[in-house]
Amino acid sequence: MLAEDSTLLREGLVRLLAEEGHDVLAAVGDGTSLVREAEARTPDLVVVDIRMPPTHTDEGLRAALDIRERWPAVGVLVLSQHVERTYAARLLSGGAERVGYLLKDRVAQVDEFLDALERIRAGGVVLDPEVVRQLVLRSTHSDPLAGLTPRERTVLQELAQGRTNAAIAQRLHLSLSSVEKHLGSVFDKLELPSTTEYSRRVLAVLHYLKS
Amino acid sequence: MDDAARPLRDSGGAGTVPAAQPFPLPRRAAGALLGCCTALLGLLYFAVPGAALGPFLLWPRTHGRALALLAGGARRLAELERWRRGVFFGDVFPVHRASGRAVLRYVAARTWTGVLFAFVTGLLVFGAVLAGLLAAGVVRSTTSWQELLPQAALGGVLLFLDLQGLVSLGALDARLAREHFGPSARELLEQRIDELAASRAGVLEAVDTERRRIERDLHDGVQQRLVALAMLLGRARRNRTPEQAEALLRQAHKESRDVLTELREVAWRVYPSALDSLGLEEALGGVAERCVIPLRMEFALAVPLPRPVETAAYFVVSEAVTNAAKHSGATHISVTVRGDGNRVSVRVRDNGIGGADPAGSGLTGLRSRVDALDGLLHIESPPKGPTTITAELLCA
Repeated sequence: MLAEDSTLLREGLVRLLAEEGHDVLAAVGDGTSLVREAEARTPDLVVVDIRMPPTHTDEGLRAALDIRERWPAVGVLVLSQHVERTYAARLLSGGAERVGYLLKDRVAQVDEFLDALERIRAGGVVLDPEVVRQLVLRSTHSDPLAGLTPRERTVLQELAQGRTNAAIAQRLHLSLSSVEKHLGSVFDKLELPSTTEYSRRVLAVLHYLKS
Repeated sequence: MDDAARPLRDSGGAGTVPAAQPFPLPRRAAGALLGCCTALLGLLYFAVPGAALGPFLLWPRTHGRALALLAGGARRLAELERWRRGVFFGDVFPVHRASGRAVLRYVAARTWTGVLFAFVTGLLVFGAVLAGLLAAGVVRSTTSWQELLPQAALGGVLLFLDLQGLVSLGALDARLAREHFGPSARELLEQRIDELAASRAGVLEAVDTERRRIERDLHDGVQQRLVALAMLLGRARRNRTPEQAEALLRQAHKESRDVLTELREVAWRVYPSALDSLGLEEALGGVAERCVIPLRMEFALAVPLPRPVETAAYFVVSEAVTNAAKHSGATHISVTVRGDGNRVSVRVRDNGIGGADPAGSGLTGLRSRVDALDGLLHIESPPKGPTTITAELLCA
């Protein structure tokens, strides 16, 4: 299901998804209709633009949170105009599974967009590289990230985008064990309890960075 | 003061809101004569209760009470004067409470002015009687021409002096009233400062509104189109068959042209560059071309306008026309721009349904723009229409 107020973009998305073999159940122009549609037929995944009528602020996000709360099994991908850390945090605060936050322009990079949809459907968390970059690059004196090596940073960045260790290893041309080693030291430096569930770890990282 | 030089917004420089026309002379003369009567009242008042209260005024213990009593009566006299100035001279004074001393001061000064005026008027009557006698003498041939000439010359001089006295006393009366009832110089300054502060805040608000609108324009228009365009290209690259890819590319090409058009429109709405290079008339021509409703433009400027005025005039027209096209359902719009070198008047009229809200964001922005130049904006939009928006701007 889609909610996007620009007709042009909405149509484009519907076509694109149809071409890729997805079944678009509904395409609407505002948050309220999206929730109504979701109620009628539970989709696997909703794609929501944050800024929609009537107030053009965060209607889409509120609709997304509403849907997440009522139907936790539905995947949610939120498209945002700019990187808004508050929005990303609000989205992820309710348990980070099957959820994504992408910059709207990312839709233009069709492959990445489709890949993000797949990863969300598979239960992962997708954050826009730009969001991650901004989070990771904030280095103040109090910022524990300042203590990471460049390599560790890259690994964390990949991790934050919801990739599995194997995928990270593949992307960075590292062995799986060295990725695990890097991650281990990242978690140590960030003083995070080590768990096996990567989305929780992302969430922990995010929460930590947000504080 | 000739009409062209008068500021549009008289912030009470004369202490009054000037009447459109001074009242006719007979009426003002009647007011002046009535002023003589009220001056006699004043004399009586100071002579009788004033004299009676005099000793108590000198006694420190009773001074306060006595002064309050005396001022209470003087206040009534002052109110009478205010009424007289209003009815016979068209002065509009705001109601305000002066201190007892100030009222007494005014009534005293005003009384003396009135008494003097009565005296000078008396001299005039006396002079008229003498002139009458002289003329009768000439008619009855009891007065010779040799006697008449010096008399007439002397009489002429005295008449001139007398009239001069009347005019001056009239002016003094007006001035006393203005100084007592009207806002003081300080109040005028404060009023002006308030006005400026309000218009400054309005300008800032208007700037922010504009920026919001520009952001919205960019986001909802240009950016969406660009994303859609990139998506088309992405789809074209992913498509399996050359025909499909070809079709998508064609679509993308068309879309890219639309993006360009949109961008040009947005840039124009932000600031029409024609305004700088080709002047107001050309820029307004652009507004007319973009308007979906038939628009008739009447443009008559004696001299080119200063830049800020030109910009304000442009935005008044473009905003009003945009509003009319969006909300009024009009089938015809007429735009008139007239200027004589001192001021320019911009009028936009549509035959739509009316009911425009002067507090709406667009019109508020316009008002701020016009206020910032000390201009006036009139919005007439009765239900059922027509809507007329007029801006009067000074070119000084």
